[in-house]
Amino acid sequence: MKKKSLLLTELAADLVAFGKKNGADETEISIIDGYEFRVDVRFGEIENLLEAGSRYLSFRVIKDKKTAFASSSDLSLKTLQHLLKKSIKRAVLANPDECSGLPPLSSQKINIPSLKLYDPEILKLSSEKKIAWAKETEKIALQDKRITNSHGSSFETNEIKFILANSNGFLDEFDQTLCSFSLGLQAGETDSRVEDFWFSTKRHFHELESAEEVAKKAIERTVRQLRPRKIRTQKVPVIFEPMMTSWLMGFLFSCVSGISIYQKSSFLINKLGKRIGNEKVTVFDDGLLPGKLGSKPFDSEGVPCQKTSVIERGILKNYLCNTYAARKLKLKSTGNAAGTSMSPHNFYLQPGNQTPKEIISSLDKGLILIRTLGHGLNPVTGDISRGAFGLWVEKGEIAYPVSEITISGNLGDILNRIDLVGNDLDFYTPLAGPTIKIQDLTVAGL
Amino acid sequence: MKEKRIPQPLVFEDYFQLNKADLQKILSISLSKGGDFSELFLEYKIYNFINMEEDIIKETAESINLGLGIRVLSGEKTGYGYTNDLSFSKIKKAALTAAAIAVSPSRKIASDLASPPLRHNFYPVLDPPHRESLEEKISLVKRAYLAAQKADSRIEKVKVSLQDQIQYLTAVNSEGLMISDTRPMYKLICFAIAKKKDRRDSGFSGGGGRVGTEYFAQELTPEEIGAKAAEEALNLLEAVEAPAGEVPVILAPGYSGVLIHEAVGHLLEADFIRKKTSIFWDKMGKKLGNSQLNIYDDPTIPHFRGSYNIDDEGTIPQKTLLIEKGVIKGFLQDRLSAKLLKMPLTGHGRRQDYTHIPIPRMSNTYIDQGEYDPAEIIKSVKKGFYAEKYQGGQVEDSGKFTFSVSSGYLVEEGRLTAPVKQATLIGSNIDILEKIEMVGSDLKFGLQTGTCGKEGQEAPVTDGCPTIKIAKMTVGGRK
Repeated sequence: MKKKSLLLTELAADLVAFGKKNGADETEISIIDGYEFRVDVRFGEIENLLEAGSRYLSFRVIKDKKTAFASSSDLSLKTLQHLLKKSIKRAVLANPDECSGLPPLSSQKINIPSLKLYDPEILKLSSEKKIAWAKETEKIALQDKRITNSHGSSFETNEIKFILANSNGFLDEFDQTLCSFSLGLQAGETDSRVEDFWFSTKRHFHELESAEEVAKKAIERTVRQLRPRKIRTQKVPVIFEPMMTSWLMGFLFSCVSGISIYQKSSFLINKLGKRIGNEKVTVFDDGLLPGKLGSKPFDSEGVPCQKTSVIERGILKNYLCNTYAARKLKLKSTGNAAGTSMSPHNFYLQPGNQTPKEIISSLDKGLILIRTLGHGLNPVTGDISRGAFGLWVEKGEIAYPVSEITISGNLGDILNRIDLVGNDLDFYTPLAGPTIKIQDLTVAGL
Repeated sequence: MKEKRIPQPLVFEDYFQLNKADLQKILSISLSKGGDFSELFLEYKIYNFINMEEDIIKETAESINLGLGIRVLSGEKTGYGYTNDLSFSKIKKAALTAAAIAVSPSRKIASDLASPPLRHNFYPVLDPPHRESLEEKISLVKRAYLAAQKADSRIEKVKVSLQDQIQYLTAVNSEGLMISDTRPMYKLICFAIAKKKDRRDSGFSGGGGRVGTEYFAQELTPEEIGAKAAEEALNLLEAVEAPAGEVPVILAPGYSGVLIHEAVGHLLEADFIRKKTSIFWDKMGKKLGNSQLNIYDDPTIPHFRGSYNIDDEGTIPQKTLLIEKGVIKGFLQDRLSAKLLKMPLTGHGRRQDYTHIPIPRMSNTYIDQGEYDPAEIIKSVKKGFYAEKYQGGQVEDSGKFTFSVSSGYLVEEGRLTAPVKQATLIGSNIDILEKIEMVGSDLKFGLQTGTCGKEGQEAPVTDGCPTIKIAKMTVGGRK
């Protein structure tokens, strides 16, 4: 592991003491010390090359159950002390809130090295190598005659240190690394172009997909959309590819987040312990999967991360909470705090037994959803309405691509109508899920 | 109205402890490897936030952003470094990082710095947000909250937040330019949820822009914002499912500007043009739409959220004609694209903050008004969809776009009838331009609350349009 950054750790601890001295009942200081490298390559030439280190300090003070937040990229002691004093004065102008306040100090401590968040290899990669990989990826794609233009490829590495100190005696830090490959392509002539991209993001360099794999997937994802047709408006079974299940999980996360629940802005309020989906639906949020993108030892308030069962065989088991939402709902924090809001850890739909191929074969007539465009998610009602791209399936075989369609439905209905769950779970992003088949959705076209 | 200018502080001296000679030195370090052009972007930003929900002022926040970005151009390549540690050694390191993009034996020398005076100010304000007291800001929040809450007994939940910001920036470059801007911003938004039996729906409204506190007395009161959010939530309680399939679509004036932002604006941003990824790259001078169609992007509209006195590369911005009588006439340029396309600058190089490279962006984009009476447009549709408010939109370079309608109406026999909920409109841009049949005489702008995202960078924008009729468009409802 990296050496502890004594100066920043001391700064955090000193500011906690400064808060107390200046009248704050509770003080929380967090510091992010980051480094980023990114190269964008297009048609074999470097487009952008960026490298920088930066630090950011955030804090929360509570006085008489009243809360104020502040943050600064200027880490000079003078600025920070001034900001902290001002915040204590500002807190007084808010209203008291019984649920405010820091979490109590937990006796539980996650073993940080066991989470495998940090790969020292990533920092040893030379800029030349990273540039060469980005070039190589795009070069492979451009050799394919069907590819007519490139959005370019990028290689990115990040190293982030997170330090947290609070007046309940918490003081800890952890380091994490990320590396990422991406490539965007177009195929077809100017007026009938299709486009897509592929990427691989990992904490460990040796887990990253190779240039060949990224290029191959980006090509395949792009060219399979060539010469799309329009279809009539109809209700048909829809298969979600894993990346589509992933956005569905993102929407589900926002609907089971304790903040949405106490704010009554989720269709899942008052549903704890009740059936919200069929037997095939089991969802976990797991912050402790070694090496995965959403894993962490503790959240932004210092609450240890955990594996939380969200939905078990269709029954809603837990809302995800930070300390505040937990107090509001009289539940326990699940360690999902992220600043003033919340974030998922590895939030995923439990895989089933079928291969994606078997799922497609089972479809007599329907749509494979491959991409969506736009917003159109309403957590208050669960309604979904999005622009979509897909592949039309007839008699278990992919027949042709379709575009300029929209899909619409309701997350509550979808959770009750998932009838097949694939075995192809992969954590491309912290929100993940395998291929799934939904009994039917409205697909609007002509 | 008495108008006071915000004093233009010399940010690099006040906050960066750097003088002109220091800046000159940093520029020469950044050109030391043979770059063609280098630029420093110095930024100091103070942001405040107040949040009210469950009848209490729940929290306030303040954030300070101070930093320096250094960019070097070498042909088509960009090198970039930034730092928020303003010690000379860290700044030098960032300059050398950016410099490394170039490998050329020739050494350009940075010109002597001169500061041209700014002769315009698109956002003169009486009471700039950063000088306003927290008590006064809290009272704006409470007024909006109460207005929404008291609007109707079916309002179950209200949330109001006020954000304000003051951004001081200075752009300095190796061509000798040194220019500063001070940009105020207010944004007051209200979110309301209405409940009737088991059904709940949400409404949203807001206002602001590059304005002072006087805006909330003169232009749009917090009470109006609260009442509008409540009204939208209440309307949606009665809403029916949207139709599904291809139907004639009428776009309501104002909010529907998001269509032009997505379907046209993005793909006229010059980076997509020079990379030939935009479907418009080979269409300059070509007629794509109805002769009634005139589209502009104008960063100089007073007090608008998307406006600026200089862009983030220090260029004086211009009202830019994009489409005239249906013919493509212009692109939105930043320095790099203008140079590579050999076209004049338009002042549309923008960046989220000092950690980002500037790219061509929209500011305030709109379809200019046409001749049709809006009532006549509605009358012309027998059966169709009237799109009123939106959650947002998205486009890809190939021209496929969607936008999410949060509320609208059915059109039956030339009249607006039942309110309609959540639907998505989808189309491809060239097709839609061809299908615009009537342009109304009632140009309006949408809310002064919009933010556009591109390549991971956010920028405040507005958009606008008059009532518009599109002959046919795919509406993704469930009926």
